[in-house]
Amino acid sequence: MVETVKYDPRSKFPPVDANSGKSVYNLLSGKYMKVWQGPQHPGITGNMSLELTVCGDEIIDCKTHVGYLHRGFEKLMERRRYIQCFPLVCRICVPEPDFNEYLFAEGTEELAGIEIPEKARWYRALTLEMARLASFLMWIGGQAAAFGMGTIGQWTVTMRDYVLDLFEELSGGRIYHMYIIPGGVRADLPAGFALRVEQTLAQIWKVLDDVELALMYNAVFKKRAMGLGVITPSIVDEYGITGPNARGSGIQRDIRKDNPYLVYDQLEFSIVTETGGDAYARTWVRLRETRQSIDLIRQMLEIMPTSGPFFQKLPNVLHWKIPGGQTYKKAECTRGEYGFFMVSDGTELPRRIYVRGPSYTHAVTLMEKLAVNVNIADTAGLMVSLHTYPPEIER
Amino acid sequence: MATERQERTIQEVKDSDPVCDGQAGLKFVHVGADQAVAYITRLRDVQGYTHLVFFTAIDYIEDSIFRLTYMVHNYASRQDLGVQVDIPRQGATMESIHHLWPHAATYQRELKEMFGIDFPGSPGVDDSFILEGWTGIPPMRREFDTKLYSEQTYFPRPGRVTHDTAAYMKEKLYPSEAETW
Amino acid sequence: MSLKDIIAPFSVWKRVFEKPYTNKKPIDTRPGAPRYRGFHVNDLDTCIGCGTCEEICQNVAIDMVPVRETRHGDSGLRPKMDYGRCCWCALCVDICPSGSLGMSNEYLWVDGDPEVFRFIPGHDEKSWNDSELGYRRAEGYDLLEGSRVPMPMLSVEESQKSFVEMVQGYSKEQAKAEADRCIACGICVATCPAHMQVPEYIKAIRDDDMVEGLRIVYQANPLPASCGRVCSHACEYVCAMKHKGEAISIRWLKRYIVDQIYLGEYSKILHECEPDNGKKVAIIGSGPGGLSAAYYLRLLGYAVTIYDANEKAGGMLRYGIPEYRLPYDQVEKDIEFIASLGVEFRQNARIGVDVDFLDIYGHNDAVFFSTGLSDPFGLDIAGEDLPGVVSGLDLLADVTHGKTPDIGSSVVVVGGGNVAMDAARTSRRYGAEVTILYRRREADMPADSEEIHEARGEGCEIVVQAIPLRIEKGTDTRLMLYWGKAEMVSDGPGKRPRPVLIEGSEEVIACDTVIPAIGQAADLTFLPQDIASRLVGKRGYVEVDEFHRTPVAKIYAGGDIANPKRDAISAIANGHSAAKGIDIYLGNFQD
Repeated sequence: MVETVKYDPRSKFPPVDANSGKSVYNLLSGKYMKVWQGPQHPGITGNMSLELTVCGDEIIDCKTHVGYLHRGFEKLMERRRYIQCFPLVCRICVPEPDFNEYLFAEGTEELAGIEIPEKARWYRALTLEMARLASFLMWIGGQAAAFGMGTIGQWTVTMRDYVLDLFEELSGGRIYHMYIIPGGVRADLPAGFALRVEQTLAQIWKVLDDVELALMYNAVFKKRAMGLGVITPSIVDEYGITGPNARGSGIQRDIRKDNPYLVYDQLEFSIVTETGGDAYARTWVRLRETRQSIDLIRQMLEIMPTSGPFFQKLPNVLHWKIPGGQTYKKAECTRGEYGFFMVSDGTELPRRIYVRGPSYTHAVTLMEKLAVNVNIADTAGLMVSLHTYPPEIER
Repeated sequence: MATERQERTIQEVKDSDPVCDGQAGLKFVHVGADQAVAYITRLRDVQGYTHLVFFTAIDYIEDSIFRLTYMVHNYASRQDLGVQVDIPRQGATMESIHHLWPHAATYQRELKEMFGIDFPGSPGVDDSFILEGWTGIPPMRREFDTKLYSEQTYFPRPGRVTHDTAAYMKEKLYPSEAETW
Repeated sequence: MSLKDIIAPFSVWKRVFEKPYTNKKPIDTRPGAPRYRGFHVNDLDTCIGCGTCEEICQNVAIDMVPVRETRHGDSGLRPKMDYGRCCWCALCVDICPSGSLGMSNEYLWVDGDPEVFRFIPGHDEKSWNDSELGYRRAEGYDLLEGSRVPMPMLSVEESQKSFVEMVQGYSKEQAKAEADRCIACGICVATCPAHMQVPEYIKAIRDDDMVEGLRIVYQANPLPASCGRVCSHACEYVCAMKHKGEAISIRWLKRYIVDQIYLGEYSKILHECEPDNGKKVAIIGSGPGGLSAAYYLRLLGYAVTIYDANEKAGGMLRYGIPEYRLPYDQVEKDIEFIASLGVEFRQNARIGVDVDFLDIYGHNDAVFFSTGLSDPFGLDIAGEDLPGVVSGLDLLADVTHGKTPDIGSSVVVVGGGNVAMDAARTSRRYGAEVTILYRRREADMPADSEEIHEARGEGCEIVVQAIPLRIEKGTDTRLMLYWGKAEMVSDGPGKRPRPVLIEGSEEVIACDTVIPAIGQAADLTFLPQDIASRLVGKRGYVEVDEFHRTPVAKIYAGGDIANPKRDAISAIANGHSAAKGIDIYLGNFQD
């Protein structure tokens, strides 16, 4: 599929220092210029900014700046009871908050030694896949819009809104669902929910067909995305790359398969990979994973139990002391490995909750590496192709 | 947790390939600060723990230590291993691991900013990461009081008054009654 | 690049003909989903102002503000939301013990004035106040536990055979689990006559800190071993958790604390007395009121002497409550600690017979009396002085004295209070067949519902709306009790219906013993006439002020003679207040 590799011979790059691997340049020479991109969303990547050093229209150095969305969640949770952390965690990642809710709940349950009912496990998995679907739909819009194809973004963001309608019906909230709570979930599926989910899925499936035609078989998109931001398999581990970014480089890894959680061991799916390693390959991975999510949701609705409890009673949450211990819980979100490292010291308040977001490496270290050589016009497309959400960097 | 802190020598942990127990596929191991980097290098290069999942610290202020936690992952055996290292809070310094994983530099930069733990030699470790222009103490240290900070920095909304249920009922139902003293 | 890559994108031109997705506001309105977490609604009549919503709110978005009148079981406070802080998580709805709080599905509200987004749901007029739709706690999901940890008890088959204590007490795990249910709202504190710091001692149980627990309990109640068993637990009737199901078992949790600590440990835990201040106080009656006053006065350094007519101290706790409810060793435990502080007990000292009242009055700086109600009401029917008619109180006292009561094989108890139940169940334990006659309906019975339930369980037959007519000598049995059926006649709205005899209905029960237990009156004959006449006010109560001072200088009174609640915990509270009053009166008080 890779037809051209974008190593533009036009530029005369400054020498690269052998030790640091960074370009050595003199800003006062007048040949180079600093450009500040952000902190407005470049595409739909969230608020962070790039300090670019350019030569002509090519980037020779990139420095990332984060901190525009820092709300100190990890610190705030140190002085909140476990149940009071529950409304906070979802805010760490806006487009798919459910992973925060799930991992926080799962970690709390493990530390407290609570088993949740079978049905709650299915509901959680269903919510997570719906969140993945919504997140992918929003991302497609960003990726297309970054290359000037805003219409595609309008279609998919609308589709995402229909998924949010389902979330609203299920949990009472569109963005912050606050549905997965320690002990299970907060409510049963509404009557006829499966039917409406299926209607929405069918609609999305059709839109995805159009997206493929308009985006993946589009000469403009191909021209710009191919060869952009190539991740070679050799740097995947070095840079801690996970999720579609790694799978786009042919790395067969998916936590849902490798360390199955919830009910993923009972579902049929295979790991989606591409070999190009560039923005185009990653787009294919994500598009196919979007369809995979639809398929998984359909599978789940088919075989999930319809009766039984969905919530396991907790001790009184107002003074719930959780035994001392530590755990790390992880799940495969749309961007890669999402994890919660939780430490309890036996009191009512958590000792430390650390949130591992995949964007932490993707948007900072990796972006700084990949941005070099890239045309200014492609930075937004590159950024989106790494699928980053700054709130999980800053937490 | 804070009380049972056993440190194993590198020889002890080297001899037994850390096998994680149970389905969780997660294990924690404690090593001394001087041996940690050597041990982690060995984990990466020999034992297949090629993925640095995250690197963070826990503040045990009551014991005057920071517990650094390096979470590494072995894709072949699908196991997570948390390497934990206790370092004194006073003048907290640790060897850098940015030469093992470039993105470790970001974690170390954050640890410097949020906990005040120094990693000499780590690229950009002294640059501000999230808190540009912050002059206070590193805010993730436990002595940093978020409530106090917010009370000093922001204004409460005027006109907000609340009542404690029991105290209010006393005031209303038995204000002067001679009861407990 | 292939030709397809040029042509394919054009195929989506077909979408031009599709309907737009957007809503045309304001022509199309889109209501929130039925579960939408929108602006709050609150049923003010159901809300009890416990403040648990405020407690769980991690955003500090809720203030409790006065809206309704404060009553027992309802603080009168209601939540006021600050939507500048609310994050719509609905944990306040989930935790609300009364279930009054909910959320509407209304989410559209635009206003230029930020102050309007701070209001009291249900109180301030809003279009969504009656909204049925919106978020409510789902069936099958609950953050609080509505059912009590069951108390291990002797079965009724077992219990009716002996005087072994029925309620066996919680184990540590059970007590902690029960204590965990408490939401620590503190609504009970106002209703407890002694205003015990209930949430605090329940917290001590959760923390497994019995020492702290005992300390808190003794701050307001020096008879916790007894109270932990037989308290009328007014607190449990107003408990916020009662709205979810069963109240916290406050009484038995208190008992749990006391049961965990030996008497010998008390002195190491509790306050020491202040140095003697040289002043003397006499206390007449060693019931809960007298003991409580004695304890708190002794703590303040007074020399305290208790005069009591009975052989042993404890008053009704010992002589009026059967051992299966309150074992004597528990009364003993409470009393012994008070005695160990240096309170002097003069038993078998009847005022007016063995000791002269004026003598006591003259030799002490103050006198507190709580002699209780010891004079049983008669049935006022023919034949009530026949042998075989014995009052409930006398029966219970006889049993305490170790006498086997002569009740024969069948007993009729007349009355529906706790004394009636105690007399009936005690008779059961002596092997008699027991019938309880009560004038009104079962719902009107003043006895605790569990007492009624247990009496029935132990085989007592309860006949309601039955009025005793006369007692005659029997042939096969010692007595014949004639009674008539009553019908309930309304006395107008808001008034308790009155039982009226149905003329001509007459039934008879052959029995060996009739036990009237229809209440008792104060016996103040020990007081000199001129003092007694100044003390007794309306309806036979001794008139006192808030510090339990009577109109006569130096004389304080408390307990059943001075308050209409007539239970042990009120007497304890009276004793405590009187101690403070005496301290103020004698000029020793330091705040």
